[in-house]
Amino acid sequence: MQIFLNGLINGLLIAVLALAFKVVHTPTRIFHIALAAVYAIAPYILWASLQWKLPWYFGVMAAVLFAIGLSLFLELLNHAPLERKGASPGIHLISSLGIYIIIIQIIAISWGNETKAFRTELDTVFSWGDIILTSSQTNAAMVSVFSLLLFFIWLRFTNLGLLFRALADNPVEFVLRGYNMSSLRLVAFGISGLLGAVAALLTSYDIGFTPYGGLPALLLAIVAMIVGGKWFIMGPIFGGILLGIVRSEVGWFLSALWENAVTFLILAFFLFLRGRKFIMLKSRPEVER
Amino acid sequence: MNYFYHLLIYLDIYVVVALGLNIAVGYCGLLTLAHASYFALGSYSYALATLKLGWGFIPSTLLGMIIALIFSLAVSLPAWRFRGDFFLMISLAVQTLLFSIFQNWTDYGAEPGTWRNLTNGLYGLTGISEPAILGINFDTISSQAALHTTLAVTCGLIVWLLLNSPWGRLLKAIRDDELAARGLGKNVHIAKMQAFAVACTMAAIAGSMYASYINFVDPNTASLDESILMLAMVLVGGAGNFRGPVVGALVLLAIPEILHVIHISDIVAANVRMMAYGLLLVVMMHLRPQGLAGNYLIE
Repeated sequence: MQIFLNGLINGLLIAVLALAFKVVHTPTRIFHIALAAVYAIAPYILWASLQWKLPWYFGVMAAVLFAIGLSLFLELLNHAPLERKGASPGIHLISSLGIYIIIIQIIAISWGNETKAFRTELDTVFSWGDIILTSSQTNAAMVSVFSLLLFFIWLRFTNLGLLFRALADNPVEFVLRGYNMSSLRLVAFGISGLLGAVAALLTSYDIGFTPYGGLPALLLAIVAMIVGGKWFIMGPIFGGILLGIVRSEVGWFLSALWENAVTFLILAFFLFLRGRKFIMLKSRPEVER
Repeated sequence: MNYFYHLLIYLDIYVVVALGLNIAVGYCGLLTLAHASYFALGSYSYALATLKLGWGFIPSTLLGMIIALIFSLAVSLPAWRFRGDFFLMISLAVQTLLFSIFQNWTDYGAEPGTWRNLTNGLYGLTGISEPAILGINFDTISSQAALHTTLAVTCGLIVWLLLNSPWGRLLKAIRDDELAARGLGKNVHIAKMQAFAVACTMAAIAGSMYASYINFVDPNTASLDESILMLAMVLVGGAGNFRGPVVGALVLLAIPEILHVIHISDIVAANVRMMAYGLLLVVMMHLRPQGLAGNYLIE
């Protein structure tokens, strides 16, 4: 039960990041690898704020706002100009990869390569019977659930959410009906930055952070998104929780070194055995947009 | 002069990798991030064959090629069904699996290179012998440069012949319009399998060249950063023709040397080099997405 709960909490964090990726990928088809850089930089902004003796809540706000700003900046200066030139998804992907590399190296030069941690003392522990949870785990679980719930409410019950679903469903018709796609794309990138920062701060408070931690986390989130399938919110949640639990079990019963290998085996399983039916592609892969 | 030979050997190794990867990226239209793991397969096979079996350069390299050929199915079979982002994810899965194997097939109590401790994990395999062919030892850097240049030219010639053959034209047809090529009765699946087999085999040859020159191999050889560097060579130079990958390898290998000349501090040199690679990718995608010398626009 303890391993299951650890996995569940890790899974919720994966789900938040998977949703951050999906918010951009679904309406724009952009493979937003630079989200890994947004994820990586957020804890460093909090770290810098704490170094300047600013209150922690100010640091968290600064980190989240910086992540949102960076995400918007990526859309305005990279993806939007490429979109205007009619660039293919491959070109968006490669430019995003290039930006990821640049930002990560800037982080490494500015703050060093070593692992940093927000807390040096032991975490507060809560126990219920045989189950033991740390305060960082309970915070992670509560904030993740709250973030996912808030996003669900925004998507289902607001006018902007409705527009967003329309854009995700059929971008061409959305534009033909006279709606402004550019501003909605900005909203998507902003939400992505927000969710990415939330996942990053919660994870880094629990296990620390390095400049290179973003890409492995994002890859995990992308696998969760693919495993989760077509559902906008439930997909990443299902995929994230599944991966979190499986990785915890593998870490406990086998070795933490095999967690990534098993994760990608799960991806291969879903892509091959459940294949296109599960991920609900409407067209043959070779004629995909 | 030794420094020049050193650069020449690195250029030879990466030209072979880039020419092979270009077949997958520029002629099949499939972006892959698994190539460093095939490079590492060649390196590890060479290391184990020379260290444990006492084999020479040619049989050890051939062993690496055969293993890479078999493992190429891991990326070529998914290429039957997936393109774009989904294929990239499959290639990342292969990269991660092979990296995990190189990193984890270890039992530090056992002797390196034995079945229990095949890769020696993070410590890697050391003491790999220099190349020896037909009793001739290539133990000086100049002789190794000559050997590696000969190998690179031979590989280049083979790739040039392949790409200008009917098979090369079939690959171009598949890349540009797969359904039309299939409609004309061409076996698209087999052609993709063959293309990836050639690409992965060439990566294994380059891996053997690398292991024989450095005399050491560890899991970092198969890291994602290496895969990104290899892909960047093809994309910056330009995919879809013969000269693009050569130009890309030249440009990307020149960057560390330029940083060295302008006295960038050693502490940040590696970071600045990676930043330059990233910047090149972004600038190229905005200004010349087909690459410096390429003629194929990535889909």
